[in-house]
Amino acid sequence: MLQYKSQAVAKPYFIAAIALFIGQILFGLILGLQYVMGDFLFPEIPFNVARMVHTNLLIVWLLFGFMGAAYYLVPEEAETELHSPGLAILMFWIFLIAGALTVLGYLLVPYARLAELTGNHLWPTMGREFLEQPTITKVGIVVVALAFLYNVGMTILKGRKTVVSLVLLIGLVGLAVLFLFAFYNPENLVKDKFYWWWVVHLWVEGVWELIMGAILAFVLIKLTGVDREVIEKWLYVIIAMALITGIIGTGHHYFWIGTPEYWQWWGSIFSALEPLPFFMMTVFAFNMVNRRRRNHPNKAAMLWALGTGVMAFLGAGVWGFLHTLAPVNYYTHGSQITAAHGHMAFYGAYVMIVLTIISYAMPMLRGREAANSNRSQVVEMWSFWLMTVSMVFITLFLTGAGILQVWLQRYSDDPQPFMVVQEKIELFYWMREVAGVIFLIGLVLYVISFFVGQRQPEASAKPLPAVSPAEA
Amino acid sequence: MHAVAEAMTGRPDSFPLPERRAQGSAAGAAQERVAWPPGDLAIWIFILAELAVFAIFFAAYAFARMGELELFVTYQQTLDTNLALINTLALITSSYFVVRAVGRIRADDAGGCIRWLAGALLLGGVFLGVKSLEYAHLFGEGVSLSTNTFYTFYLSLTFFHFMHVVMGMVILAAVAVKAAQGHYSREVHTGVETGASYWHMVDLVWLILFPLVYVM
Amino acid sequence: MSQVFTKAMARNIFYGGSVFFILLFLALTFDTIKVLPERDNRANLTEKVAHGKAVWEENNCLGCHTLLGEGAYYAPELGNVYKRFGESKEAIKAFIASRPVEGIPGRRSMPQFNLSEEDGRAG
Repeated sequence: MLQYKSQAVAKPYFIAAIALFIGQILFGLILGLQYVMGDFLFPEIPFNVARMVHTNLLIVWLLFGFMGAAYYLVPEEAETELHSPGLAILMFWIFLIAGALTVLGYLLVPYARLAELTGNHLWPTMGREFLEQPTITKVGIVVVALAFLYNVGMTILKGRKTVVSLVLLIGLVGLAVLFLFAFYNPENLVKDKFYWWWVVHLWVEGVWELIMGAILAFVLIKLTGVDREVIEKWLYVIIAMALITGIIGTGHHYFWIGTPEYWQWWGSIFSALEPLPFFMMTVFAFNMVNRRRRNHPNKAAMLWALGTGVMAFLGAGVWGFLHTLAPVNYYTHGSQITAAHGHMAFYGAYVMIVLTIISYAMPMLRGREAANSNRSQVVEMWSFWLMTVSMVFITLFLTGAGILQVWLQRYSDDPQPFMVVQEKIELFYWMREVAGVIFLIGLVLYVISFFVGQRQPEASAKPLPAVSPAEA
Repeated sequence: MHAVAEAMTGRPDSFPLPERRAQGSAAGAAQERVAWPPGDLAIWIFILAELAVFAIFFAAYAFARMGELELFVTYQQTLDTNLALINTLALITSSYFVVRAVGRIRADDAGGCIRWLAGALLLGGVFLGVKSLEYAHLFGEGVSLSTNTFYTFYLSLTFFHFMHVVMGMVILAAVAVKAAQGHYSREVHTGVETGASYWHMVDLVWLILFPLVYVM
Repeated sequence: MSQVFTKAMARNIFYGGSVFFILLFLALTFDTIKVLPERDNRANLTEKVAHGKAVWEENNCLGCHTLLGEGAYYAPELGNVYKRFGESKEAIKAFIASRPVEGIPGRRSMPQFNLSEEDGRAG
């Protein structure tokens, strides 16, 4: 049951997010197979195209998730209807169609032709990692982002202003503003890379952490019934740590791209502390759940909320720290170690936070009182474990591949060529692909969880057991 | 940590601390009622994080120095130890002033508190002025962050600390303004203690930085 | 006196800390931009080089390769390709031009990009 009618606009956003998520994983499996069967789908879908689809779909569906999250939680936080539900729906279709056209463009015409068709020479922004979209698509993203910020901002302005919605808004504004650097593509490669990281790093290790923190705080307030004051204090401290460590932490990308050597020190020192906010997020989630004042019937959402803290800390924090110090990174830079970190960090921090809010909000968006039936939740929790455990294995296998790669190709007395090494570590790629298939099975179960146990009654919350003196 | 957990969970009764309470009540209304740590707990989390950054920075300095000992010793001699000594005295004295400011507000003397804070701010200004002179001299010689590893560290560490002094002064000034507006009293003066705690941290870092970079 | 941990203080630390580190980051950026001309060989940035960068971008080369370690990890780093190909531009051009359209059975292959002579020279 929705508290505000206009929260319903979140539903299409969440559905689109899940649909694109499926696409992302399918292309991920294609990529994984191409690592071991080089000619798979060649020349129809060469690796570079599949990878572009894989990473771009990830970004787009996470953005759908963030927007859906904002449309769901802002009215509830602001205690008022959304400023314009119509605008939100319009932007949904614009974003979806622009995204679909872009992906079709990737798949149907050669990339160089797409660049030509979209007039890339007039304002070249294409062909840079994660920012491969045609310039016109980038303009579309900005338009959608502005309309979205306007809609959410107006809602917050006219209603109750809470820390959660404020932090979310700061994160979203930061996201939009930093994206503008995607339009700056100087001919000077050093400068190009320097500012490219202002989009990529300051997103995922900066403002996105604000968005993640705000969504997590919202869900925890709802699930645990812990006093808002307490949760908001935590939120402030966590995001303060995120920006304090993350902003200068950008320096860990400035080790080897032609920027001055002092970045090796600044980058190493501050990024060594970047696990801190993620660690605090984990402690925060568990602490709040331990001190809950009620048992919420949505156990699955609780599982996601706890899981995202742990996995974000492991993926972003631990696996990030693993190769962030300059002397280590000297050897590991641009190897499968980076891929291992990227997979678990994105899954743990951003995939799981979006799945957390979907898990929490979807039952209400579909007319339930507070939660799905037990049966549906059991399937969802299975999908949680399948996806999470298989992602741990994907990360471990890639880490194994990376360590071997670094050793054979860069560290040993007798360094061997790239392709020779790739063949030697094939076994790890095969195992990663198997783990990837299990991830897909988890994802399929996740989708199924929306369709099972629909006619069964809602799960009920067991009363909170009396607090024993030892626990207090 | 109990205190942190207690404040962050907002459930003071979950961590009964009988001893401290007993002390508090025995001391009555006197100054001994001071809670530990003084000031807002949030600032202590922040201070710990800052000290961690500086500690790693100092460790990195020591590590780099081991590798290029000769270079570090040579270029250390280009620094002006006398100016740094003046700055050390300025900061120590300012810390004392801040202690007096806290003492005054605990005695319900907002005017005295503001005067001591103003003194501390003045000395902070002296620090910034002297440091700027030092920078101007070095920059005039063409020294930059990229000159060599020693200067990378010297400039990084001192500039990072310099910004902390500015930050500390902003905080002390804000405290002084609030004191002038009558927000603080013998009973309510957490803000003064918070600002003082931060300022002492800035001072403490300099007391390590000075011998490490200038003298050793 | 009970412990205090106010939301206002946590908020101040967030805003104060963020501004502090944004300023520090901008200061370092300023210094970086100042010294870059001594480091990035910009004197050699001819029109041909710029064209080469455009060819690199418009064919999505980093979808497989890395450049200075950034990109995809499916194919070798290109920052050192000149050295690896015996410092021969001709060898690199010949390699790119000779990629089979249908790929190599069972193996990874670079697509045939049909680069023009001009693009090939610049790339």
